[in-house]
Amino acid sequence: MSESLEKLQNRILSDAKHKADETVKEAQAKSQQILEDAKQRAQRESEEIIAKANVEAESIRRSILSSKVRVNRLRILDEKNRIVEDIIHGVEDRLSSISKSEQFEETAQRFVMEAVKAVDTDQPVVRIGFRDMSKRNLEGVSRVLPKGGKLVIDEKLIENLGGVVATDPEGKVVFNNTFKSRLERLDNQLLTLISSTVFGE
Amino acid sequence: MSGIDAVKKIVETEAQARRIVDEASAKAQQIISETREQAERIRQEAVARAQQQREEILREAKSKAEAEALQSDKETEQVLNSYRKLSEERKSAAVSKAVALILNA
Repeated sequence: MSESLEKLQNRILSDAKHKADETVKEAQAKSQQILEDAKQRAQRESEEIIAKANVEAESIRRSILSSKVRVNRLRILDEKNRIVEDIIHGVEDRLSSISKSEQFEETAQRFVMEAVKAVDTDQPVVRIGFRDMSKRNLEGVSRVLPKGGKLVIDEKLIENLGGVVATDPEGKVVFNNTFKSRLERLDNQLLTLISSTVFGE
Repeated sequence: MSGIDAVKKIVETEAQARRIVDEASAKAQQIISETREQAERIRQEAVARAQQQREEILREAKSKAEAEALQSDKETEQVLNSYRKLSEERKSAAVSKAVALILNA
């Protein structure tokens, strides 16, 4: 009786130890799995953070560079505009003092003829004004006017760098042939000419 | 040994067996709990390292872009200087051509 009781006790304890060992082993295996999962998850999250950072870095780079390129293009454009403006001022100075040049009479005659032709009348009224222009300068101009034409000296035209304005007798048809007006009409050609001469474009 | 004593022995032994199992169960729970904490630490450390790496990547990108931007400034300055030089050399010719265009067009 006593021997079989001891065996039973040993069996009960042995079963319990076995179950305990199994429980701990299972926990250890589960623990291993938890760690493995955690490492993989950490790896995934890290890779996502780095991938997003690379995209963000490229965006920052592009933003800094495109902003700089834009600013520098504007600087170049501003400088070209400044140079062109400077040259146009030089042109305006030269044109406004044309009455002192040898080509004045021929130019004034041609401007008058163009304006008279444009208004297309037998009795054109031609107003003329150039800086420092003398009456002697106008002798040649009078010769190209039609017989019914009228020549009027108008110093206000000097404000437009000088030139000629022709109208019909009623003043309904007007042709402005001042330098300012010609500069405006030839604006595109002028800019192309200056750019090609200075910048080779 | 009487029958009653034998039953007592068995009851004691079973109680001892339950303690063994209960202790193992508690130990298992502790293992799992500690492991979860360790796993969270691993994740947090990895994320923190990745965040540091992110900061470094962004810093490097900014610094590299700023260096490229400086290069763009230098190139622009060269272009501006060449324009100024061209302007000085060719201004007179450009004015003459433009005047001729306005007079003769």
